[in-house]
Amino acid sequence: MPDSAMPEAILPQSMVSATGMTHERDRMDMGGSMNNDELDRILSKQDEIKPSSGFALSVMEAVREDAAVPPPIPFPWKRALPVLLVAALTLIVVVVTGTAAIVQFSRGDMPSQVASSLRDLLPAYARGSAGAGLAWTAVALLAAFVCVKLSMNLASGRT
Amino acid sequence: MAIKSAADDQLAVERVLTGDISGFEEIVRRWQSPLVNLAYRFCHDRGRAEEMAQEAFLRAYRNLKQWRKEAAFSTWMFALATNFYRSELRRIPVHIPIDEIREPADPRAQDGGFEEEDRDRAVRRAVFALPQKYREALVLFYFHEMDVPAAARSLGMPEGTFKARLFRGREILRAKLPQWLTVSRLKEA
Repeated sequence: MPDSAMPEAILPQSMVSATGMTHERDRMDMGGSMNNDELDRILSKQDEIKPSSGFALSVMEAVREDAAVPPPIPFPWKRALPVLLVAALTLIVVVVTGTAAIVQFSRGDMPSQVASSLRDLLPAYARGSAGAGLAWTAVALLAAFVCVKLSMNLASGRT
Repeated sequence: MAIKSAADDQLAVERVLTGDISGFEEIVRRWQSPLVNLAYRFCHDRGRAEEMAQEAFLRAYRNLKQWRKEAAFSTWMFALATNFYRSELRRIPVHIPIDEIREPADPRAQDGGFEEEDRDRAVRRAVFALPQKYREALVLFYFHEMDVPAAARSLGMPEGTFKARLFRGREILRAKLPQWLTVSRLKEA
């Protein structure tokens, strides 16, 4: 907004610098060089605006609206922590057991019964046979159901 | 006066923290003018300045518990507001083209009486053509009436860094000003 559009709202603010500089003006050409004192004098004398009459009320209205909004529900760490711990432990056990099995399998020192059953299982899974597919689908559905149930319980405040 | 205002601020904040929102109205009424004017110096737009100041007050209200009382409430609030204004101007920058630094002359200047005032206004507008970090330093320095520690605190930077930016900002302004003013004068002609 150009300054000329608000003649009443903008009032010139006279400020004397902290260095004791006065408002005595040393004439300077428009294109001439400018010393720091001159710059200080000009930049200290800024236009000052008055906040509009309803400003404080508008701020307070926004503050009251903000205060009326209920605080966000804190994450239920107390309830979630045991579940998270169990999940983390399970993950660690699965990763460790799986890694150990893969290492054993690759070394060839796995009991032949287990190795053969693994060999049987992997190609079957890879081919997507109906039986293995069904089993995995059932496991995935069960896991999803448990997760949803647990989240709902946590959200509703039940344990 | 400053001590009284600091004590009043502290009482008002304590009231707000115990649930009496009207305590915040005292703070708003006491600090609305400085906060709006600080925003105005950053953006040079009255409407935007009020919007920015309102948001700054709202943020101050939401974060009242974070005021540690190590510094005056006003120091904390100015730092919070300055931080918000700076990020707001990074989001939507203010751009005054160099050839518009010299505003249209005041019609009263026909008699020659206001030429100096026009020149001063052009110099103030030229601050907006500076890179942001130097512009911020200049704006804060003159807003805090050339109090370097107060301006540096508002910007949350060491005094040494602030002084370096201030020095560099003034240097650029002094070096470029004649050129900018000439460009805008030629544009007008």
